[in-house]
Amino acid sequence: MNCQRFESVAVELARGQMMGAEVRNEALAHSAACQTCATRLRTEEMLTRGFRSVFEEMTAIEAPAAIEANLLKAFRQPQVATVTLVGNSTPNYRRYWLTAIAALLLIVFSVIAVRWRTEKVVVPQNARNQTTPQKNEAVPQQSPEVRPEETLASDPHQPRPQRPKRRVNSSALTVASAQSNRDKGNDANHASYEVATEFMPLGYLNPVAFQDGGQIVRVEVPRTTLANFGIPVNMDRYNERVKADILVGVDGTARAIRFVQDKRLQ
Amino acid sequence: MKLKSELTDPELLRLMLSGDEEAFTLLYRRRHGSIFRFALQMCGSQQVAEDVTHDVFIFLMRDGHVFDSAKGSVSSFLLGVARNYVLRRFRGEQSTVPLLDDEDDQQFDQVTNEPGPLDDLTRAETIDNVRKAVLSLPERYREVVVLCELQELSYGETAEILGCAIGTVRSRLHRARALLLAKLRPVENAELTNSAAVQSARCFA
Repeated sequence: MNCQRFESVAVELARGQMMGAEVRNEALAHSAACQTCATRLRTEEMLTRGFRSVFEEMTAIEAPAAIEANLLKAFRQPQVATVTLVGNSTPNYRRYWLTAIAALLLIVFSVIAVRWRTEKVVVPQNARNQTTPQKNEAVPQQSPEVRPEETLASDPHQPRPQRPKRRVNSSALTVASAQSNRDKGNDANHASYEVATEFMPLGYLNPVAFQDGGQIVRVEVPRTTLANFGIPVNMDRYNERVKADILVGVDGTARAIRFVQDKRLQ
Repeated sequence: MKLKSELTDPELLRLMLSGDEEAFTLLYRRRHGSIFRFALQMCGSQQVAEDVTHDVFIFLMRDGHVFDSAKGSVSSFLLGVARNYVLRRFRGEQSTVPLLDDEDDQQFDQVTNEPGPLDDLTRAETIDNVRKAVLSLPERYREVVVLCELQELSYGETAEILGCAIGTVRSRLHRARALLLAKLRPVENAELTNSAAVQSARCFA
């Protein structure tokens, strides 16, 4: 055994703890041969004796009898212990309750906030739904294939027809309101439901002749007639008829023609 | 039928929890001494030791059902509870003895200005010095010394109370004894013996 090994067993040796007889004999033999380890063992044994002295000194020490009396009093009154228990645990319960109430409030406020947001979004939709029938009734939608403004404008030789004034705003409410106001005027003027092209001369007549006066006659012509004037025709509806106004001169000659479309039919 | 005084601690505890006052008295008288001494040796204060002893048995009345005999003896259980109360007091009050952290271990040598009690002082002085030296140890070393040396519990019982491994108890005890030797040794010999105690001087004999 060397000093390092002795060091590891010195405390147990000094404390008189159980260890292998062989190890014990080796340690004692080493301490007999090594002065440093002998001193080390002697010091540890003195410390152990000191501990034993303290242990023996304190063995007789006990808690005062008053403690036993107090404990017995507490034992005979279980409610005291119970009260103590409740008193100690009340903060925990209170904390749980506060947590539960806080969670409940959070849920309630969340629900209210979600519903408030939902209503805020739904209100315009309701308003739009209410105005939509008006829009459907009062605002004629132009069919994609027949848009007089655009079709007529495609003819570079013809003067640009006056675009019907439309106010298109992003807000559906604004559109509906404007359309509603416009519809009030439309009720007074039936012609406002119609979109018409400019008069297109028939033949090579002097336009000055229009100043002589004449008469406009409403007729229906085959839709294919539009092609004769360079207006694109929707071939899906080629067999339908379109309205046209014929400007008839004072001499009874047809001077010009314009095509008319009822916006309400779109 | 066995007398109540012949009953084991777990049996007394079971009777106590069912409301048997005599069982409580027997258990108290059987175990209160070691708890009181443990608290006293840990704190160095009679008042604190009394409070801890009282609190431990109040806890036993209230929560004694948490004791599990598979995990250890009633004595170890009560000492573990007492340890918790003592540590709680240390944490809360920085109690009646100055506590030193591990960083302060080196201060032991400087504190020691008294003559070596192990050599030539009377037994009473030795006891007093040892107790003071134990009280000056850091908590984790002090509790091991108190349990293993001053309560004379085995490594296994101490490990059970502290909730650590036996090897941990053993190494802490070695370290604690080295610190105590440094504390109790005369200053002039401190350096020599300190190296012998802590750094394991080698002679390769």
